[in-house]
Amino acid sequence: MDTRLLELRDVTKIWSIGRTGEQVPALSSIDLDVARGEFLILLGPSGCGKSTLLQIIAGLEAPSGGRLRFLRGDGGRKLTSMVFQEYALFPWRTVLENVVFGPEVRKVPRATRDVEAQRLVELVKLRGFEHRYPHELSGGMRQRVALARALANDPEILLFDEPLAALDAQTRRVLQDELARIWAETGKTFIYVTHSLQEAVLLGGRIVVMTARPGRVKEIIDVRLPRPRSLTGRQEAEILERLDELLRDEVKRTMESER
Amino acid sequence: MTRSTLRKVGSALFILVVWQVLVQTGNLNELFLPAPLSVLGAIWTMTLSGKLPWAILVSLNRVVQGFVYGALVGIVLGLLAGAIRWVEDVLDPWVAAVYPIPKSALFPLFMLWFGLGDPSKIVTITVGVLFLVLVNTVTGVKSINPLLLKAAVDLGASRFQVFLKVILPGALPNIFTGLRLGAGMALILVFITEIEATKAGLGFLLWESFQLLETKDVFAGVVMFGVLGVASTWFLQWLERVSCPWARR
Ligand SMILES: Nc1ncnc2c1ncn2[C@@H]1O[C@H](COP(=O)(O)OP(=O)(O)O)[C@@H](O)[C@H]1O
Ligand SMILES: [Mg+2]
Repeated sequence: MDTRLLELRDVTKIWSIGRTGEQVPALSSIDLDVARGEFLILLGPSGCGKSTLLQIIAGLEAPSGGRLRFLRGDGGRKLTSMVFQEYALFPWRTVLENVVFGPEVRKVPRATRDVEAQRLVELVKLRGFEHRYPHELSGGMRQRVALARALANDPEILLFDEPLAALDAQTRRVLQDELARIWAETGKTFIYVTHSLQEAVLLGGRIVVMTARPGRVKEIIDVRLPRPRSLTGRQEAEILERLDELLRDEVKRTMESER
Repeated sequence: MTRSTLRKVGSALFILVVWQVLVQTGNLNELFLPAPLSVLGAIWTMTLSGKLPWAILVSLNRVVQGFVYGALVGIVLGLLAGAIRWVEDVLDPWVAAVYPIPKSALFPLFMLWFGLGDPSKIVTITVGVLFLVLVNTVTGVKSINPLLLKAAVDLGASRFQVFLKVILPGALPNIFTGLRLGAGMALILVFITEIEATKAGLGFLLWESFQLLETKDVFAGVVMFGVLGVASTWFLQWLERVSCPWARR
């Protein structure tokens, strides 16, 4: 793979919890290559360390072992931006003010960043809502703001942590299509965490199936299907079934370990 | 006017009229309860003579200075203590020790240290406001969703930028709670500190009138304290609306 953008080698994470310092292994020996421009899905049972892995890639947490290498040094510029499940918008900033946060703290001149923010607001179809506050928006619209805000730093990689999990089924469906469109339009690399098999099949270029905690890469499935996809397609159904099989063991293991 | 406003205005007018009538029919002694119109008269006279405006000005000077110093120090220390663990640890015993003390009890000490003039009064008010603002600011910082801090760092904010652009605005609603409580405290303390060691101020005017048994002047002072209380509340509400438009309720 000569289009590799990110390389993870033997990455582990052990959380130590609270006062007791109890050691909780969250990730064990993750090996993963991420190609430039791909839509990579991280799929795994709840608690298997998906968020942990994403935070390590984002540089928000340090790995306990192993290493992480971006194969495109860009003058020290941060190459990732995160979209959180709970939106994490600044309640005291309007849509536009949220979107410009990144460029603002990086001291991009006002004129430049405002033009860019307007373009992004358009991209995520929030025209006319620029001056609303987050609490005046629906969940779906908030997530569009979060996406525009993440794109405003022009990162190589967008990290999504179950971005649609808090939304109702209708909105989720619409936003899944939107994400696929924006991925195609921007050519960015998406690393996308979900625990929904359907979402993985609808969106994923490659699907990384993780084991129960401590998370490891169990299997990587290539989804070579044209978009837009539909869950009723025969090939899609086959992949769904395969994923279901892979995950069922892991969910069972999670439940046993929690007992 | 809505029904509710009518009831409120009606209630106020009814009591005032009954009160006025009771005094005029000789059922109430003006030494204890001067009629509303007498109080208005006293306010009018003292306004014309300049006595009341001067008293208000002197007190306002003490209140505003004490309030502003206390608010500034309280906000800065509160933000730091809320955001930085070691600052909180260093401040904690002092807050725990001084917070429960009625700040008026510190006034004699401050007179010993800072003399009988304005400084000891201003310091008393400063301390009273400071702790209320400090404690509420810390609460505000702790109430900020940690995910917002994470998002800010992820978007490239430095520690200082996180402080300025996330922690400060995030704590602002609670800071205003502290300021409102602090304003009330400032008025209480200016009255108490003006009973002693001064020849000017609204508290002094009120207390002196009491000693001369000029009850309507005492009432005039009480009413003016009420006006100051309402005015400070309105001002802070306006300031909060302007600076926290997202929190419009
Ligand atoms: N900040 C943290 N401190 C301590 N333990 C954590 C922290 N974040 C996650 N964990 C633990 O790590 C494990 C994996 O969590 P997470 O990465 O959130 O899983 P997922 O996102 O796949 O549901 C869980 O057992 C969780 O309790
Ligand atoms: Mg998670």
